[in-house]
Amino acid sequence: MEQPIAIQIRLHLERFDPLGSLQQWEQQLLEAGQQRAAACSSFIGRVRGSKANGVVALELEHYPGMTEAELQRIAESVGTHHGALACLIEHRVGRIAVNDAIVCVAVWADRRGPAQRCCQELLEELKHNAPFWKREWSADGSSQWIEGNTPL
Amino acid sequence: MGSSAPGSIRIRLFASLREQAGWTERQWLLEQPTTAEELWRTLELPGAMDAVRVAINQRFASANTPLQNGDELAFLPPISGG
Repeated sequence: MEQPIAIQIRLHLERFDPLGSLQQWEQQLLEAGQQRAAACSSFIGRVRGSKANGVVALELEHYPGMTEAELQRIAESVGTHHGALACLIEHRVGRIAVNDAIVCVAVWADRRGPAQRCCQELLEELKHNAPFWKREWSADGSSQWIEGNTPL
Repeated sequence: MGSSAPGSIRIRLFASLREQAGWTERQWLLEQPTTAEELWRTLELPGAMDAVRVAINQRFASANTPLQNGDELAFLPPISGG
């Protein structure tokens, strides 16, 4: 029998510390009796800001209930496909300042290949298929909805 | 949910679509069988429906799915997460 993948999904309404989240996630897996995996891959995404675009904050809207359910479905599907042992997805919603974390994804697997591929695919899947919508706020108070994603 | 006739559904809009349409959600009486695609036209929602995805009861669904009493229908503009 295959072990079910340990999945943790969390949406943050307030600023979160992704490195703290990673540490806490690993600790919880170990405390739940899971053996430490040989490979761990993680990704942290932060709000990009520059003087050129004048963006001072990002706003992330979501669809409460559906967003969490889609993230769970994505983690189950992608994690199973890559044979992951555990998956973590943490995502901000609400207004997010430049340089603050938007997303943190992590995967435990037996080897670096599945860990890295699973982590990348989780991120791409959630970017395209989990109901989140970004709006950029500029210093002059204007805002613009972003349709689609930045290049890989 | 339930069997009370004629029944109604809840319609929700998000992000840019919500702002363009000027409303967030509404109840809609199901006086006759209909689909998300037909409602998009009936409600005169802004723009083409090509880029918009449909969710029924918080699951992605085809725009041609017949709607049932008690359904929650959502129109989702292009997603931009992560």
